[in-house]
Amino acid sequence: MEIKDNERKVLIEDHDYDGIKELDNKPPPWLMWVFYLTVLWSAGYFGYYVFFGGPNQATEYSKEMAIVDSSKTDSLTKGLDENNIVLLKDEKDLVAGAELFKSKICFTCHGNNGEGNNIGPNLTDNAWIHGNKPNEVFKTIKYGFITKGMLPYKDQLSDQQILELASYILIKFKGSNPANAKAPQGTVIN
Amino acid sequence: MEQQTFYYDNKIVKLFAYATILWAAVALLVGILAALQMAFPILNFGIEFTSFGRIRPIHTNAIIFAFVGNGIFTGVYYSTQRLLKARMFSDLFSKIHFWGWQLIIVCAALTLAAGYTTGKEYAELEWPVDIMIALVWVVFGANVIGTIIKRRVKHLYVSIWFYVASILAVAMLHIVNSIEMPASFLKSYPFYAGVQDALVQWWYGHNAVAFFLTTPYLGLMYYFLPKMANRPVYSYRLSIIHFWSLIFIYIWSGPHHLLYQAMPDWIQSLGVVFSVMLIAPSWGGMINGLLTLRGAWDKVRESPILKFMVVAITAYGMSTFEGPLLSIKSINAISHFTDWTIAHAHVGALAWNGFLTFAMLYWLIPRLFNIELFSKKLANFHFWIGTLGILLWAVPMYWASFIQILMWKEFNAEGTLAYPNFLQTVTQINPFYYTRVIGGSLYLVGFLVMVYNLIKTIKAGKFVSEEEATAPALEKSEKRSALSETAHRWLERKPVRFAIYIFIAVAIGGAIEVIPLIVVKSNIPTIASVKPYTPLELEGRDIYIKEGCYNCHSQMVRPFRSETERYGEYSKVGEFVYDHPFQFGSKRTGPDLARTGVVGGKMYKPAMWHYNHMMNPQTTSQGSNMPAYPWLAEKDIDLDGTAAKINAMRTVGVPYPEGYELKAKADLLAQAQLISDELKAVQINVAPNKELIALIAYLHKLGKDISIQNVIDTTSNPVKK
Repeated sequence: MEIKDNERKVLIEDHDYDGIKELDNKPPPWLMWVFYLTVLWSAGYFGYYVFFGGPNQATEYSKEMAIVDSSKTDSLTKGLDENNIVLLKDEKDLVAGAELFKSKICFTCHGNNGEGNNIGPNLTDNAWIHGNKPNEVFKTIKYGFITKGMLPYKDQLSDQQILELASYILIKFKGSNPANAKAPQGTVIN
Repeated sequence: MEQQTFYYDNKIVKLFAYATILWAAVALLVGILAALQMAFPILNFGIEFTSFGRIRPIHTNAIIFAFVGNGIFTGVYYSTQRLLKARMFSDLFSKIHFWGWQLIIVCAALTLAAGYTTGKEYAELEWPVDIMIALVWVVFGANVIGTIIKRRVKHLYVSIWFYVASILAVAMLHIVNSIEMPASFLKSYPFYAGVQDALVQWWYGHNAVAFFLTTPYLGLMYYFLPKMANRPVYSYRLSIIHFWSLIFIYIWSGPHHLLYQAMPDWIQSLGVVFSVMLIAPSWGGMINGLLTLRGAWDKVRESPILKFMVVAITAYGMSTFEGPLLSIKSINAISHFTDWTIAHAHVGALAWNGFLTFAMLYWLIPRLFNIELFSKKLANFHFWIGTLGILLWAVPMYWASFIQILMWKEFNAEGTLAYPNFLQTVTQINPFYYTRVIGGSLYLVGFLVMVYNLIKTIKAGKFVSEEEATAPALEKSEKRSALSETAHRWLERKPVRFAIYIFIAVAIGGAIEVIPLIVVKSNIPTIASVKPYTPLELEGRDIYIKEGCYNCHSQMVRPFRSETERYGEYSKVGEFVYDHPFQFGSKRTGPDLARTGVVGGKMYKPAMWHYNHMMNPQTTSQGSNMPAYPWLAEKDIDLDGTAAKINAMRTVGVPYPEGYELKAKADLLAQAQLISDELKAVQINVAPNKELIALIAYLHKLGKDISIQNVIDTTSNPVKK
């Protein structure tokens, strides 16, 4: 084993393992300090959280939600009168509705162009399961019909977004005759 | 002193080396298949045996136990004989160990592909294989300890300390984590329930990393690195300090896999602090390795073998710094369940275990065959392409995880999630899954070049099966003289005492964490409305486990706004008391499923949705990388096995009334009929006895019980308005 001259004084003479020699260098002091500091930090951390009342995860959560609840009530309750929905006709809003139809998961059950598929009904014909009045469509999107497979979107979309979506569906889909349209379901409403 | 002549058994070393290479090829190929499947779900091929949920455990088990395992044994059998100046204790034990281990690997691959799994990560193998592992491990341990007893060297070198610690700790971890109640020949339920099972499993899982992937390799490093560099070990004192602190502290850190989850806070805090305290002990190994190369850096420039070692040791240092960082709660809150963890694990596996193994093989094979390595150039090429492969593997995964974390946590001005559809956060990172495949492939190419290089070397050389050596017999052990011998030096020549101290050091942490959680009732507050699974739900749960759903889906809503908004009420400790095994999961390739049974909740989907989704996920979730599960609608539930399952569950503590096993089948069919009828109403025909029906029943049970008692989030509930 190659031993340098300056290592002779730290070479441990009687250590020889299949030719492997060992030096008696001191562990680097900075490494020992890292160790002492992490031990110290750990004692403080454990003491604070376990013995001296540091917040546990349930209280951390309540705190987070308390801040959110106080700040979000305005924006969520600022919503519309659900029984008196007026559709948006502005092209900008309808484009926004189309975007939502594609980016939320509407298309997965109702087809890319509202034609319906083996899960959801056709949205382009004049047969409706839960009604086609603006407030009915609005509520269908917002609260869903869980047992029939329509999911509620109240937590995923703001009222404004739901309105954009309902407007897009009721204005743009009507009579669009997409390919592969699904057979009508529900009541025919003229 | 009379010189004794004896022979090193090189044949067993050669066998293990060949097995290492063979299984590495298999494990890497399966890894690339898994990576491809995440990028292109069509490559699941629509058949159960090649579906990601089964492929991923085969990959992880093959890397850990087949590739790294055989790598450990190669190095241990070579170095132990030389460090102790003795042939292995028993050639028969060596043979039993070798063939037994290979048989275990084959059984593991076959049973995992067939869907026989316990559903506990890195401990997926079912009880008969668990028993084989325990037996073969004992043979291995006896062989090493026997060799220590008949050694010709008075003191044990640091490598041997690490080997002994690994043997004892792995035996303890494996046995304690595998206590399970068989329900049939290849199906069992763990003794521990829910939160307890989670803690025991991650105590095991984390320390599989510690005592299978780390400490044996540190032992190998301490032998092979000084040999390769022809340089003395930098610091004997550092070896002592970092050895004892490492093995003592490591065992406590398991709970860092369960931060912010349903787990008592005090256990989580222990997991955090012991992980942070691990930095210096881990770095002790890296520093001692790198400083051993001090004054030998000119050799590193010349030698591909040393280059592999330098990268391996440096990666070890990086991983063991990143690990404690990821264990800090505020960082874990964002990193957990993402590809960050996957990147972390792969830096360790590809660079530390992989590169160290390659270096060892490049050094070892020429010596076993008494010839020079065929081509240093090719070895250099392997080093560079392997390093590039690791970078291309890891960097995209880190990047992907950062993107996904930000998307999961982002809220818009209205106070709703900016990306409420989980799928958006998956399709966004898909490009990174492609890049990962390239990284993995480069690594594989490098590996294949090594195989070629080694075959050429072997062909040209002549195998030295029995290597002659001489050494004086061991002197009789004398009493310690305090003047001339430190306490540790004395301990190094007292192997039995040494081993006992090691065992005490590795047993303490687990005992202090696990025993109170099992014994002290107040750690798991009960929830009255939580009920055991019905027979159909239980069968569905077993299918969930069998198909490896836990590999991509968690069942653990953490107490964060971003999670309760997305999934529903956060998970409580008391919800899992009937879960044998727990299914918290560790990665969210898909969304969390803890609340899929809460009707009207954010995650609830009707039976027909589940049917369509399982048959072809693309129809309900365009762009999803979930595999299709068409066989679930065709395969029958094994109704004859239900009674035995109920009995086994009762044995591990689930309060099914006596005699209920006789009624179970009728109950199962009645519940299944309801789901089958529900599907029929929408023109979907699935007979009640199909696996899919049971799986839907299970998904409709998840998280439901607690919602009966504790109505979910009322802030956006229409009932209030």
